[in-house]
Amino acid sequence: MAVLGIKGGSKKRKQVAAQDPESSDAEALPEGGLEMSSDEEKEDGASDSEGDVIDEFPEIDAGSDTSEDGVSGLDEEEEEEGEEETDAESDDDLHIFPKSKTVISDITGQPKKVYPEIEPDYDSDSSTEDAPNRVGDIPLHWYDELPHVGYDINGKKVLKPARGDELDKFLQTVDDTAAWTSAFDKNVQMDKPLTAEELDIIRRLQANENPDAAYDPYEPTVEWFTGKGKEEIMPLSAAPEPKRRWVPSKWEKQKVMKIVRAIRQGRILPSKPKTATTQLQFYAIWNEEPSAHAPPLPAPKPQLPTNAESYNPPEEYLPTEEERKEWEATDKEDRERNFLPQKYSSLRLVPAYNQFIQERFSRQLDLYLAPRIQRAKLNVDPNSLIPKLPSPSSLRPFPQYRSLRFPHTKGRVRCLSVSPDGAWVVSADEEGVISLWEVIVGREVKRWTLDGKVGAIEWCPRADASFFVAATDEKLHFIIPPNLPPTVLTTTQNLLAPATLPPAPATPSPVKWSNPRSATSTDGPILTLELPQSSGLAKDIAWHKKGDYFATVSSGGPQGGVWIHQISRRHSQAPFKKIKGSVQLVLFHPSKPNLFVATQRYVRMYNLAEQKLLKTLMPGIRWISSMDVHPSGDHLIVGGYDRKLCWFDLELSDKPYKIMRYHSRAIRSLHFHPTYPLFASSSDDGSIQIFHARVYNDLMTDPLIVPLKILRGHEIREGLGVLQVKWVPRQPWLVSAGADSNVAIV
Amino acid sequence: MGRLRQKGKAGAAKAYVTRSMAIKKLQCSLADFRRLCILKGIFPREPRSRKRANKGSSAPTSFYYTKDIAYLAHEPVLKKLREHKAFAKRLSRALGRGEWSSAKSLEDNKPVYKLDHIIKERYPTFIDAVRDIDDALCMIFLFASLPSTSRVSASLIENCSRLAAEWQLYVMHTHSLRQAFLSIKGVYYQAEVMDQTVTWLVPYQFTQNIPTDVDVRVMLTFLELYQTLLGFVFFKLYTDAGLVYPPPLDVKKEEAAAGVGAFSLQEASRSQPTAAPKKSSVEVDGKKVSGKDVRQTIKTLGASNATEADVEMPVVDSTEQEVDEEFVTMPSTSNPEEGSTLTTLHSLASLPEKQAPKLFAPYTFWLSRETSRPIFEFLVRSFGGRIGWPVSSGGGSPIDEDDESITHVIIDRPVVERSGETEEQRERRRRRKYVQPQWVVDSINAGKILLEEPYLQGKTLPPHLSPFGERAGAYDPTAGLAEDVRMEDESEEEEEEVADDEAEDEEQPQKVAIRVAAVAAEDPATLRAAELAAEKAGVDYGLFEKEVANSQKKAKKATPAESADPEADMNKMLLSNKQRKLYERMKYGQKKREAENAKLEERRKSLHKAKKRQEKAG
Repeated sequence: MAVLGIKGGSKKRKQVAAQDPESSDAEALPEGGLEMSSDEEKEDGASDSEGDVIDEFPEIDAGSDTSEDGVSGLDEEEEEEGEEETDAESDDDLHIFPKSKTVISDITGQPKKVYPEIEPDYDSDSSTEDAPNRVGDIPLHWYDELPHVGYDINGKKVLKPARGDELDKFLQTVDDTAAWTSAFDKNVQMDKPLTAEELDIIRRLQANENPDAAYDPYEPTVEWFTGKGKEEIMPLSAAPEPKRRWVPSKWEKQKVMKIVRAIRQGRILPSKPKTATTQLQFYAIWNEEPSAHAPPLPAPKPQLPTNAESYNPPEEYLPTEEERKEWEATDKEDRERNFLPQKYSSLRLVPAYNQFIQERFSRQLDLYLAPRIQRAKLNVDPNSLIPKLPSPSSLRPFPQYRSLRFPHTKGRVRCLSVSPDGAWVVSADEEGVISLWEVIVGREVKRWTLDGKVGAIEWCPRADASFFVAATDEKLHFIIPPNLPPTVLTTTQNLLAPATLPPAPATPSPVKWSNPRSATSTDGPILTLELPQSSGLAKDIAWHKKGDYFATVSSGGPQGGVWIHQISRRHSQAPFKKIKGSVQLVLFHPSKPNLFVATQRYVRMYNLAEQKLLKTLMPGIRWISSMDVHPSGDHLIVGGYDRKLCWFDLELSDKPYKIMRYHSRAIRSLHFHPTYPLFASSSDDGSIQIFHARVYNDLMTDPLIVPLKILRGHEIREGLGVLQVKWVPRQPWLVSAGADSNVAIV
Repeated sequence: MGRLRQKGKAGAAKAYVTRSMAIKKLQCSLADFRRLCILKGIFPREPRSRKRANKGSSAPTSFYYTKDIAYLAHEPVLKKLREHKAFAKRLSRALGRGEWSSAKSLEDNKPVYKLDHIIKERYPTFIDAVRDIDDALCMIFLFASLPSTSRVSASLIENCSRLAAEWQLYVMHTHSLRQAFLSIKGVYYQAEVMDQTVTWLVPYQFTQNIPTDVDVRVMLTFLELYQTLLGFVFFKLYTDAGLVYPPPLDVKKEEAAAGVGAFSLQEASRSQPTAAPKKSSVEVDGKKVSGKDVRQTIKTLGASNATEADVEMPVVDSTEQEVDEEFVTMPSTSNPEEGSTLTTLHSLASLPEKQAPKLFAPYTFWLSRETSRPIFEFLVRSFGGRIGWPVSSGGGSPIDEDDESITHVIIDRPVVERSGETEEQRERRRRRKYVQPQWVVDSINAGKILLEEPYLQGKTLPPHLSPFGERAGAYDPTAGLAEDVRMEDESEEEEEEVADDEAEDEEQPQKVAIRVAAVAAEDPATLRAAELAAEKAGVDYGLFEKEVANSQKKAKKATPAESADPEADMNKMLLSNKQRKLYERMKYGQKKREAENAKLEERRKSLHKAKKRQEKAG
């Protein structure tokens, strides 16, 4: 069966080439279902009792009718087998069959096909085959080593044809036009031209088609079991059809009737109103009570148009050419106005505004995308923010103009000091020249020249003695000014160069006190004090108010470079074993035994009697440059190189009561007036600021600070302006030393 | 020890959500979220600390109140949007499968949301709604002027133009228009409705196309909301005014491009039973008889005359005649000098607050064909005037061109010599006043009928100023011009005089004396000396005085700024950092504004001078 089926299949394919598919179907069927046929016949007869006998065979018969002649299946089969043989024998001439004749068989008396006898002459197919190798379908490499390729029909060896070298082959291909359609045939060991069918197969493979030309991918389906007469004729069960298959359902009817009733009563609308046609219905929506919720804040309204937006604005609103260009050059977001004012002589000339829709759109973007913030608009006069202070003119006296100028020959005037009686000034420059001159007339009385630059100079505050201390490198020089009254002179000399030296301290101090030879003359220092080696230039001298103690700060050295010297005992001591940060300045409290020490960032207040830290003030300045304490001792001002001035109320807190920043460069020096409520600050911007600073005894009242005057007049040299300011005691006069080697009295 | 506080569980981190978080919470698309935000009026908030609100991240995001989003989660519109999403899927599947009938039934039952509850929620009281209709009106008027495209349907535009017409009708009916301003962007109108000023902008009549850089979907969403809002607002306004809403539309007139005239206002009492039975029942249900109703009825009774005048334009009532008498005196009272400066803001400010609502009642206008009918019909009718227009401007004109009652012709073209004019036409021309359109708007803004003289056809118009005013302290183009000009003229004259003097040698000492006076004006002692010198030279004392006053004024102008400055500068030192910054900012703004004002002032002066010179030359 299976073989038959396969054969039938292949046969079918072959026949398709020649005949229409219908016939092929019809012929294929009997072969596949040969044995079934009788069975089906029976079933047909059994099931279709009603009489509409529709079996398959009539159709099949009809199909076979279409074939050339009504030959029996068996004959056909024979014929096919024959065909298969011929197929195998010669693939080349597949369809060239000799015409058959139908004759009546003598034996059976039946008609049969008779093919003409094959004559082995030149005409016949077999004779025209040249060198037919008859080894069959065997691996031909078996003959690789042998001189022959196989055997012909007579059993004789078929020798391998002589084969030329590659050049011959090439020449052959050049000569032969059909060479490119020929392929090497292993069977005969030579090139053979491909047949048309083979070429066709190659073409199909190249075109990605099915190589079989006879294959039809769009064959019509064969309806085996559907359609009239092909229903299932063998039911799976013989149970009778249930009643529910044909009796209408009661429940369904009830449900349907329910709907029908609802429709009749109008409870269900069979076709709902279309949503597309529903118009917006308006009604009195605000008639009900509004909810208790507060309404959302209304969106801010856009600005109302101003004159510039008019179609016919006053001419001054029209932009000039530069303004127009500038407006065009700026980005859309940065423009102050989103339009350019234009003027039209009449309304009919006004064109459409081309940004209209964009502006509407941006308004809407604002409405739904922009965060809204409620801002309280400060509608005040900016001048009302400025504190109301008494007018400077009501706070006189204070220095207003420069009255005197005392020039140093050269070098910056680093430091100066005013004598406690307010009559004399000593000023020292970087060349080591110290000048003593009168405050009132500015006449130089005496000049000393020390070796090295003078870092600090300070007059002793004692009234009964008169001298000053000047600091060069690591030395402190005590100098007595000339023209002193004899009593004062003797006291001073006794003080500085006593006949009997006080007993030396138990522990030897590194600081040496020595009286030079010429102690009596006023040409040089009467007393010299040598600070320890490598302590550097003493940059600050601070006297205690009684004039017995003074403190010096050196730029280097151990213990922060701070020394406290006592003149009466000729003794020096370093109060700090070690100190955090580099000490910039020290200052004695005017009434209490307290010492202020300013490091780079902080001001520390020590009690000298109890030897402990009282408080640390934090001015928030990066680098403290100057400091002064109010004569009352409760307030401290600290200035820094970062232009800040901090006012501390020592009673209040560690933080400044007020921070001011008004100088444009670093603050260099600060000084409170000993008697008047004034203080001055000087800066590298070449200016001196005078302030009125009234401090009240009442703790509840804040100190009053009023800026009074800005004094300019010192030149700025190499980035340095006014280096020191000092008030003249008992007079509202200020002495200032500048980097331009001038000292001025204002 | 209290409970441990976890980060991000309280405070700003909890009170704010970012937009992406909100979208995630609501489980909707960004477009739907945007739509919801627009409809519900939810906008981003600016937290005090962005970093704290965003859980430590400082990435740029927009924040919303968590509570806003929580409210949104229960929004019926959101539900509908979700239904719509499902519907869209179903529909596309049905279409893809070619199931046309099911697609049709789906389309018929497509989910549609209503915005009524949102209107009520956003505007709990009617006043809230009226306060916020500015943007809505602007949009409606814009879309009424747009052509319909694939993105903007014709029905939408029709609805917008209907709403626009309804609003105009209401404003005209109640005479609530207060100001109008012809700007380069369009026409600004300001009306006072329910004691709220409503300002809206109408573009000039040109075809506009929606540009590509504008997101139409956003605009359409806004428009959706605005249409509903305006519908409810108009309903309330109309019913409060005793009118039927919506006003019936006359299709024939509409086709003849009658514009606003295509709608006719109907009194509610007359038409309620027939026109809108359903609505009337709603009203009756909702309304309690109150004092407000009584007042309203009285108002309707009072307004009935005006209504008739509006509806049936050609009929001239006796009431109008009375008003006529009242207004006739107005033009004669305004003296011609004032006429030139009548348009000023000052004159506006000096006017009594209550404006004449029927300013144009005694007049009848004819619109020339080049003037825009919608603008001037609206303006004139809002102020009680009658107006007619040629057929080229649209149908429905209540009067003809040769109507005898026409008093003004609004014309916007240059004067052309007319040769072939009959006697009758000339007579008519003589009787009518041919004014340019700006006259109408300026009269409205001034609150009185201005002199027609500066606005006559062919005249160069005086500048058209904004009736809304500038911010306080801004440059005022009308203030002080006369004074300044006078002073300058004098100084110029003097200069000329001086020039003349120089030519004449004999008057030399006098001149010198005057010069001395000018110099010595500051110091009393020197002044005294100069006075004596002048007397000696024989200078007229009046002239001397004037010179002194002039120079003193000049000196005063120069000095105060300088003298005040250093002291203030010194006191500025004591400002705290924060205050100083505030001060600097305020000063900066002030200075900028002053600079702008000064620039305008300067430019005006130079323009004035140039004009003068030109006049002299010409």
